[in-house]
Amino acid sequence: MSFWEYLGNRHQQLLTDAYQHVSAVFQCMVIATVLGILIGIVTYRSSWGGSLAITTTATILTIPSLAAIGLLIPLVGLGVPPTVITLTMYGLLPIVRNSIVGLRGVDPSLVDAAKGIGMSRIARLCRVELPLAWPPILTGIRVSTQMLMGIAAIAAYASGPGLGNEIFRGIASLGSANALNQVLAGTLGIVILALLFDAAYVLLGRLTIPRGIRA
Amino acid sequence: MNPPDMNPHRSVPPGPGERPSSSPLPGEHDVQDVFRDEEEEPAPPPAAPRRRITWRKLVLMPAALAVVLALTYLWITNVHLDSIAKNSLTGGNVQLRWWQHVKLTAISTFWVLIIAIPLGIALTRRRLRRGAPLVTVLANVGQATPAIGLLALLVIWLGIGASTAIIGMVIYAVLPVFSNTVAGLRAIEPNLVEASRGIGMSAMGTLTKVELPLAVPLILAGVRTALVLNVGTATLATFVGGGGLGDLITSGIQTQRMPVLVLGSVLTVVLALLVDWLASLVEVALTPRGLEVGA
Repeated sequence: MSFWEYLGNRHQQLLTDAYQHVSAVFQCMVIATVLGILIGIVTYRSSWGGSLAITTTATILTIPSLAAIGLLIPLVGLGVPPTVITLTMYGLLPIVRNSIVGLRGVDPSLVDAAKGIGMSRIARLCRVELPLAWPPILTGIRVSTQMLMGIAAIAAYASGPGLGNEIFRGIASLGSANALNQVLAGTLGIVILALLFDAAYVLLGRLTIPRGIRA
Repeated sequence: MNPPDMNPHRSVPPGPGERPSSSPLPGEHDVQDVFRDEEEEPAPPPAAPRRRITWRKLVLMPAALAVVLALTYLWITNVHLDSIAKNSLTGGNVQLRWWQHVKLTAISTFWVLIIAIPLGIALTRRRLRRGAPLVTVLANVGQATPAIGLLALLVIWLGIGASTAIIGMVIYAVLPVFSNTVAGLRAIEPNLVEASRGIGMSAMGTLTKVELPLAVPLILAGVRTALVLNVGTATLATFVGGGGLGDLITSGIQTQRMPVLVLGSVLTVVLALLVDWLASLVEVALTPRGLEVGA
């Protein structure tokens, strides 16, 4: 069976897998983004809090994802729970780091000016600091998403959802006629989805980065 | 303000897709730098001053890892193991997997350095500079490829075995070292290169005596990234018959023997953190003193 025939025959299965892959990554990214920015907001003002958050996340990032999944299985079982926890955990890291660096990079005189015209702490954060720190945070989100696409593929080994299943099916049937088709479909699918995500983020950047700091 | 040449992280050119920033946002360069050499990079934030090795740095991590290992050992020796679990854990199997993992990591990192650093140097020379964007595009697409997919494709093409795993790991880790080498060499002030040519140094002399030493911090950060990446990718070697600690993890999952799974995972985590710690020591030790920020 040629690759195109394979795609034609299995498009139902492939589309389901692709959809599940995207939906798992997307949902975990939403959780990770909210949590990551919150952690950034809470810690960026204190120097030790910020460096603690950055060191902790960097250490977690060092851990191979298969090992992280392996440690979660005895606690939460197979399937969706370890996948979601792992994806969210790894997704946090670049976002936390870039939030802290971005928020710290905001020109203090701008914050002072906002204070001077009578803005409250919350208003300063929401209307001055976060918009200015948004471009680096968005970069963090992009990096996270790319990484999660790959980790989600590995999570399929622990019965997680997504295109990783296609790859592992191929590995399990090495030597059979369809092995190459399966692996190729899974891998290319993930590459294409990752590139689409990236394009979406570029668009999102165009729409959400305040005009004043856009080049 | 620091003078610009004191901080090797300042003048990194904006990555593809980033705007050429007329410096509207003070922190932005730092941020791009944090993530230009990619996701798995555990290097300390560029803002932090580099210091020589302190006793805390020397002792804290290995002590913590030793405690974790001791606790795991106590647990494993006291937990009830049935015959399947015993099969996976006795007869030197654990040591064998550990050494396989270390070997996979070491060999693939060696090849990564041999390939990526000369390639980075070559593509920053005047004659080949035009090739650089092409390589960057290739590298970015490569980055979007999941490691497990790459390994699976290679195993179909080359057959199972440790060498397949190593080839996959090398392909996967070449990118960060390459892009850091290029970034490090490009960040050097053209004045310095010109001055060294002006006092009569050859192109080769300029490269080895001026450019490479100045690019050392970024190149080393890339090497550390590659090492950590390789420890992680080596866990996937088990899927292509390459052995390593991933073997314990996957057999633990397949036979549903939690002690095997946990031991494999804990050892992998310990190895990853240990390698990162060693690399951070080397990084500090090899950085030229003149480049230390705030020194």
